[in-house]
Amino acid sequence: MATSVTAPMVGKILKIEADTGATVEEDDVIIVMEAMKMEIPVVAPAGGTVKTIKVEVGQSVEAGEELAEIE
Amino acid sequence: MADETTTPKQETPDTQSPDEKLAELEARVLEGDARAIDKQHGEGKLTARERIDKLVDPGSFTEEFMLAETQCTDFGMAERRQPTDGVVCGFARIDGRPVYLFAQDRTVLAGAVGSAHAEKIANGIRTARSLGMPCIGLYDSVGARIQEGLSVTSAIGEIFFENSIASGAVPQISAVMGPCIGVASYSPALTDFVLMVRGTSQMFITGPPVIKEVLGEEVTMEELGGVRIHSEVSGVADVVSADDEACLTQIRELLGFLPANCNEPPPRKESGDDPERRLDGIEKLVPDDKRKPYDIVKVIKAMVDGGEFLELKRRFARNLVIGFGRLDGYPVGFVANQPMFLAGSLDVDASDKASRFIRFCDAFNIPIVTLMDVPGFFPGRQQEEQGIIRHGAKMLYAYAEATVPKITIVLRKGYGGAKQAMCTREMGADQLWLWPGVELAVMGGGGAVNVLYRREIAASDDPERTRRAKMAEFAERFNGPFEALSKQFSQAAIQPADTRARLTRTLALLREKKETRPAKKHGVMPV
Repeated sequence: MATSVTAPMVGKILKIEADTGATVEEDDVIIVMEAMKMEIPVVAPAGGTVKTIKVEVGQSVEAGEELAEIE
Repeated sequence: MADETTTPKQETPDTQSPDEKLAELEARVLEGDARAIDKQHGEGKLTARERIDKLVDPGSFTEEFMLAETQCTDFGMAERRQPTDGVVCGFARIDGRPVYLFAQDRTVLAGAVGSAHAEKIANGIRTARSLGMPCIGLYDSVGARIQEGLSVTSAIGEIFFENSIASGAVPQISAVMGPCIGVASYSPALTDFVLMVRGTSQMFITGPPVIKEVLGEEVTMEELGGVRIHSEVSGVADVVSADDEACLTQIRELLGFLPANCNEPPPRKESGDDPERRLDGIEKLVPDDKRKPYDIVKVIKAMVDGGEFLELKRRFARNLVIGFGRLDGYPVGFVANQPMFLAGSLDVDASDKASRFIRFCDAFNIPIVTLMDVPGFFPGRQQEEQGIIRHGAKMLYAYAEATVPKITIVLRKGYGGAKQAMCTREMGADQLWLWPGVELAVMGGGGAVNVLYRREIAASDDPERTRRAKMAEFAERFNGPFEALSKQFSQAAIQPADTRARLTRTLALLREKKETRPAKKHGVMPV
């Protein structure tokens, strides 16, 4: 079952740390966002393989928006 | 109720003396029902008696009310009733210190809560309170024994009453090691700490059948009230354990930080870690660039004795960290912003998590060290709708109310009213220290400049350039510790490497702190 990686808050995508196909563990940083003048790491809710990255660097996202999928 | 827990009553010959009869009866209770025990083991769980054995100092458990039984004879209970009524209660010692404990016994009447069962628990909590010893409950039950009707819900009400009255008098720890469902789940909720075991613990008020009937939704017990929900979403669970053994070890560990009751200091445990130890390299854990996140837990671990930090509610409201550590052997409660999550801002859940912990520490004489690195309250309509005003107010209230020693250290920044919510001097901090390079302001430079110099910027030939110049001016004025030191916001700026030595020395001075508040029945916390 795929697990969604969602944006914890409104912000901008600053960096993508894990590419599609990468193996990640729980709490590994997948994407770095920028919000409240801070870099916000978005971590994997569960271990697995990154199936898709759904955003690009520079893109603005809403809270709860799906950023990636882990399988 | 499950049938397999019914042990056939053995016929005892009339020739037995009362002594013999008693000995036989007690031996039979201790031996238990082999089939039910096997079933419990099959689910990867220990029995109530095995749990007690592993939790307490060897041979220290003294059981009481072993032969208590339900007085209910309705719906076949006269034939099925069993000694203990499904809960094992008594006194014991943990690390030599007296405790009262009760353990629901899943192998006797499926641990169902009958009136005798509930009365035993309520009595145990009352006893713990009157003797001034911690009360530990191990929960594992199918739920209320409905055969007993109103008398069982009344008896459960008695448990809630005793939990509430004991609150703040003696520490109460609940380990949910199986289902704890329906109204019974309010008992752990009324205690100070809830531990849950992954895979076997569930807590919920209305179960899957009721949800199906009322809402038409299909949901499993685990989805509804398993470890994930309560450790990440609801915030009910403080500690998640891998299995029964780990859970029992964690109870002992937690208890090691707590006094026996509200009139005693928490126990000191020397570690051999030098109280004056310099924290060389600690500044490397905290990036100078204030945009960069870092893990505050690593900073706390660097400060405390032996790097040992018991974090509570670790996966709930992760933007704020709470937990216990020791400094020079003395227990300390830590409250800290966690820049790894939501930029370390304060939201509804973080406020809730912090306030309850602050009140616990205050009730049980545990000094509070607050590590501030806060960009503000988490903005947004959702937070306002959820009542960030009410919840944020709880933090202010809890800190102001607390009379234990309170020390706050600003590591990098503090903005707006979120500063006060992290315990500034006017909120009652005995000491507030700054690490070098701090930023403290009523709001961020960009926002402040837009308000202060709105006209000047608008009238300028090059508004952007004017804005930048004003921002640089603003930063010059407010960055660094000087304004805060000049205005007595803080007693001193300290070198990060000296933080531990400064904390241990100052806490030694604050140990005799006595602060009284105006007499009243009690305050009205904005819960």
